[in-house]
Amino acid sequence: MAASLRAWMIVALAATLIAPASGQAPAAGNGTGSPLRFAVIGDNGTGKAPQYEVGRQMLATHATHPYAFVLMMGDNMYGSQKPRDFVDKFEIPYGPLLRMKIPFYAALGNHDDPDNRHYPHFNMGGQRYYTMAKGPVRFFILDTNFMDAPQVRWLDAALASATEPWKIAVFHHPIYSNGDRHGPNVSLRVVLEPILIRHGVAVGFSGHEHVYERITAQKGIPYFIVGSSGQLRRGGITPAANTAASFADDQAFLIAAIDGDTMTFRAISRTGAVVDAGVIRNRNTSEQ
Amino acid sequence: MATHTHAIHRPVSRPHDGDLWQRLVHGVLDRFLLLPIGAAIALVWANTAPESYFRLSHALAFPVNEIAMAFFLALIAQELYEAMLPGGALHGWRHRTLPMVAALGGFAGSVFAYLLYVNLAHEQMLVPAWPVVAAIDIAAGYYVLRLIYPRRSAVVAFLLMVAVATNAVAITVVAVQRAEFSASPAGLALLLAALAGAAMLRRRGVTAFWPYWLFGGTLSWLGLYWMGIHPALALVPIVPLLPHDRRAGEVFEDRLDDDPVHHAEHEWNGVAQVALFLFGFVNAGVMLGHIDTGTWAVVVAALAGRPLGVLVAVALAVTAGLHLPRHMQWRDVAIVALATTSGFTFALFLASAALPIGAVSEQVTIGALLTAAGALVTLGLAWALGAGRFKARREQWRPHPG
Repeated sequence: MAASLRAWMIVALAATLIAPASGQAPAAGNGTGSPLRFAVIGDNGTGKAPQYEVGRQMLATHATHPYAFVLMMGDNMYGSQKPRDFVDKFEIPYGPLLRMKIPFYAALGNHDDPDNRHYPHFNMGGQRYYTMAKGPVRFFILDTNFMDAPQVRWLDAALASATEPWKIAVFHHPIYSNGDRHGPNVSLRVVLEPILIRHGVAVGFSGHEHVYERITAQKGIPYFIVGSSGQLRRGGITPAANTAASFADDQAFLIAAIDGDTMTFRAISRTGAVVDAGVIRNRNTSEQ
Repeated sequence: MATHTHAIHRPVSRPHDGDLWQRLVHGVLDRFLLLPIGAAIALVWANTAPESYFRLSHALAFPVNEIAMAFFLALIAQELYEAMLPGGALHGWRHRTLPMVAALGGFAGSVFAYLLYVNLAHEQMLVPAWPVVAAIDIAAGYYVLRLIYPRRSAVVAFLLMVAVATNAVAITVVAVQRAEFSASPAGLALLLAALAGAAMLRRRGVTAFWPYWLFGGTLSWLGLYWMGIHPALALVPIVPLLPHDRRAGEVFEDRLDDDPVHHAEHEWNGVAQVALFLFGFVNAGVMLGHIDTGTWAVVVAALAGRPLGVLVAVALAVTAGLHLPRHMQWRDVAIVALATTSGFTFALFLASAALPIGAVSEQVTIGALLTAAGALVTLGLAWALGAGRFKARREQWRPHPG
């Protein structure tokens, strides 16, 4: 009972932090002092009704919580990936957002054609892995299908040279997970985690497991799995001690707002229900 | 100072039948079973305490895969090189044409099946793993056929030729495909210096192997590493320059530790076995939750694509005028085709060489392990067709009238 009450209080607190004042549409955040808001989707590109419904919910959410861009966790496209599929599995479901000039930034999942990195709407600049800065945040988008030595060296160097207070890692295969289908990729964890810790990465975002899960801070870094924005493995998670929250009853996506040294977040279901919410502090800035 | 020859060839003295433990150890070492043992330990560890396993395996990956494996690959090269010398099981050009055609068919069949599978599944991310599916486990195929056919059977020699040719092509593809590959003149110079050094040692009649490995091997390793070619191949070019023994016996057959060359071979075999165990341990540890499309694509390519490719290629070659080896029937060709299905050791080697850590490597590695099932399928077919030793056994099982 107490846990349930605490959960609702966290949701209410996050809603207060994220939500704009009534009747006003706040700025999405572009490094000019207002919070930087962004959305996160993963394993979305099915082209089926649930993906479209999530797309509509993202649009509705944008009306009240205008986010500046969308991060895609990979498996952006399932099955056939011909030009028509880019329309059916991406441009139509997210059409209203695209028309509002909201950019999408994609990571590659195992079901993606590597050539999709050239697709202009994924904003990957033709690269398998890349970095981009938005206001106080630098994102590091990785290709965990092939975590080769050049990519590891690049990540180490790019993180070392980043000056932004927030560093966020984005990669398809989760290094912590309690999903029933795949579980964590521990081989990747052994390679990636020391680098992420050494350079003060604040948050990690992944997909792959077709559920939503938030992992408690592991060696200082909390992780999100947002892998149910199109696909869904209903009930496909067995929460463990490191599960902060999970949701596998319906498709979901996430919105986040970074303001100062805090990141507030809300996980929202296909029907618009807030299924998780909370606040994360940047371990770098908050310790100073 | 050509080939080092010996009059006596017989299997090394075996322990007494009653000494079960010694027989077991001998059997494990003779049949390269340390690799599956290392693989089994890795699989159990990776799926029970993954973090400690992957920390250890990643730390060992370079010394094992890039250095220690050089001794195993050189051992295989030595066995096959000697088998091709006069008196060896694979000697004679006329035996080689049809196996080469079969190898080509098997290679094309496995790669075609793999690419077809991943394309039908729309999994383009898996395409770069295609050379892995061409690999054939030479030792696994050899020992499966030895369970079916007698010593020095044409069927066994046929399989060895198919496997050697296929793996040579696959290893070359992977070696050149590596991202770091460059035709470095300095690397080439080191390789040539290694060969010249080994040739000089042989001219001086050096029978111990360690000077060849220490001087020639080190220079060759550095040369290949510099050129971005997999350095585990470093000792292979040195092998033809070693003191050699005609293989009147079988490939992989152990021999008496009766002279410096055989003694050196015994020591070498010990090092290679340790390398093989470590190789299985380092590379076979995958979490079974990562089974995915790539896993099944590898299995289908090995268990269906390759045998079909071998059969079709041999059928076309025979139609074009080539002949099956003496004492070999179509039934035997079918069994050889199935005996090529296990990729295991060489598939793991190619996967470790061609694919970096990541999701694709994990899917493919599980597939490579599963291809070991091809050995059972081969034995089942041999039983069903009454091939080799199974002919007599089937007769025993057949009910007699009256």
